[in-house]
Amino acid sequence: MDKKVIIAIVLAAIIVVGVASAALLLSKEDKGGTVKYLAMAPKDMKAALTTDQVDAYIAWEPYVSDSVVGRVGEVLVWTEDIMPNHPCCVLVLRTEFLSGTNGLELAQRFVKAHIEATKWMNDALADKESQNYTKLVDMAVGFTSRNASVIKAAFEHLEYRYEMGSSFDSALEQFTDMYIDLNMTTSAKLGDRGYTSVADFVDRYVNESFLEAAGGIAPSATILNPGSPIKLGYLLGDLHQMAQVVAQSSTATGTGKSFLETYGLEVEDAVGAPFASGGAEMDGFSAGTVDIGYLGAPPSILKHLNGGTGTTIIAQANIEGSGLVVAADSGINSLRDLVNKTVAVPGPPAETSIQFLLLKIELERQGLEFVVKT
Amino acid sequence: MAGIVRSAYQLVSSNWRKVALGLASTAVFLLIWWLYAAWLRADWPFHGTPSGAWEYVPYPLEVLDAFYLSFWSHPVSGLYMGEHIYASLKRFFMGFILAFALAVPVGLLMGRFWTADAAGKPIVELIRPIPPIAWIPIFLVLLGVIRGPIAIVFLGIFFPILLNVQFGARSVDPTLIDAARTLGARRLDIFLKVVLPFTVPYLMTGVTVGLGIGWMCIVAAEMLGAAGGGVGYFIFVTAGNSQFPYTYAGMLMIGILSILTTGVAGLVERRVSKWVGMR
Repeated sequence: MDKKVIIAIVLAAIIVVGVASAALLLSKEDKGGTVKYLAMAPKDMKAALTTDQVDAYIAWEPYVSDSVVGRVGEVLVWTEDIMPNHPCCVLVLRTEFLSGTNGLELAQRFVKAHIEATKWMNDALADKESQNYTKLVDMAVGFTSRNASVIKAAFEHLEYRYEMGSSFDSALEQFTDMYIDLNMTTSAKLGDRGYTSVADFVDRYVNESFLEAAGGIAPSATILNPGSPIKLGYLLGDLHQMAQVVAQSSTATGTGKSFLETYGLEVEDAVGAPFASGGAEMDGFSAGTVDIGYLGAPPSILKHLNGGTGTTIIAQANIEGSGLVVAADSGINSLRDLVNKTVAVPGPPAETSIQFLLLKIELERQGLEFVVKT
Repeated sequence: MAGIVRSAYQLVSSNWRKVALGLASTAVFLLIWWLYAAWLRADWPFHGTPSGAWEYVPYPLEVLDAFYLSFWSHPVSGLYMGEHIYASLKRFFMGFILAFALAVPVGLLMGRFWTADAAGKPIVELIRPIPPIAWIPIFLVLLGVIRGPIAIVFLGIFFPILLNVQFGARSVDPTLIDAARTLGARRLDIFLKVVLPFTVPYLMTGVTVGLGIGWMCIVAAEMLGAAGGGVGYFIFVTAGNSQFPYTYAGMLMIGILSILTTGVAGLVERRVSKWVGMR
């Protein structure tokens, strides 16, 4: 009997808290002008849209063109229209890697190969009749398991870029400020890591020196790290990270050697690569199993600040290339039409992605709130 | 209030050996945890260089702090822990009720009738070992964002109950049935008054195991577009952002919820056992 009373009281307390929270939440929902979001893996978004589980979704390529080419969806907004040249995927280095044998030089050479691969892609994309364009499409088809028409459509809305610069920095500052507002990191955490402000953090977390040093790097006839390859991290089938596919491909250069080999590097996939998410890849950096990796800027920022993962951003991989997709003939013609409707965002964590942040920015510009679906 | 204190006191004083052992083992567990966290950080009593991944294991007190804050001042996805608990409990109980309602009759049938067993076994054995996580995209599309996560929890709870009920129904002592028959019981009587009561302890074992597995499935279930969050979602989000004290706080909450639900199941078992005359 006694035990029952105690358990009953504890249960009652939990139920009261739950009901009170629910009531609070319902009262929040009553306000007009609210768009709801739901975390979902991008690979499931198209199916969720076609079965009316969600009214729209925002994701990166090729998940956008997947629906467009299949004629089940149309793009309501491209992220480039929300924030032109917005950052997306970046190249991240484990800082401890620099203290290994030839660490600094290996990282500089890697950045050089990344730059050359990016330039090669941009040249290929500039001339759709060229042989290299066909090669690039073929590589992307192999990497993403999508058909060529989806890849070609996706290429139209994303740009590969390795330079960073001031607009990159200010976008990262804006994102970090939003994370603090969203309670996903704190000013105290910035302090814990030795940063005095968000601007100071971005200034020091983004390291331009590798891009600067790359200018002085020449092809090398010998491999600098035989037997101890650089462990490379990247995400599963992420079209934004094509630079690493091209850099590893022996067909791009025309010399029979890949860009990485040309600059004297031996590289292998890190344990766990391709990773399912940037967060998982950052855990690999923490464990020391990833040396250099491609991933979205947000997890690299958040896991560095919150989890103390010793990383630094050394180059950009791409800009733009994400879109908000609604079902074809859905009658949704503007963001206002999304009021009280549900948008799938990549996650969980739902609020981490650049896609989420950009959509939130745009909705707020239009006076709309973006809250989690309950 | 005084009554509760008195009854808690009685509970402790009558079981003091058990309580002392439980407290001692918990203390040892916390000490090992604390030492491990200190070792990763190279804090006192250790020294040297901290591990690169020390923040993955917070101190017990940091977790307790995060646990407290998650209720009042640290929302995840804009939702406080109370709201996450509410979302998870709702999902969990729907899954449990469905699993119970389906597993008990099917288990009884499969336990008592070889035809039902022969027909059901291949399907059960085929589906049982599939990890709930594998169903996520399928359930999302077929069942949607509300019913999909419930279905994942359902799968976790369904099979332990089914198998235990089946085993219970099969192991009814034939002499009991013969005795009942000799006393003039009809088939329905035998079923209701012999087989069913005999199965109750097995059923409750299934429920206890199923509840545990159900909570294990909640993280997987809440990866699937979990509307309104949930404790599993809370764990997933905070781990994804390396807010590790909160991740552990979420794990602690799952543990507490599991203990509470198992406790309630124990109470129900005693009631039901008494009611059907097994105790």
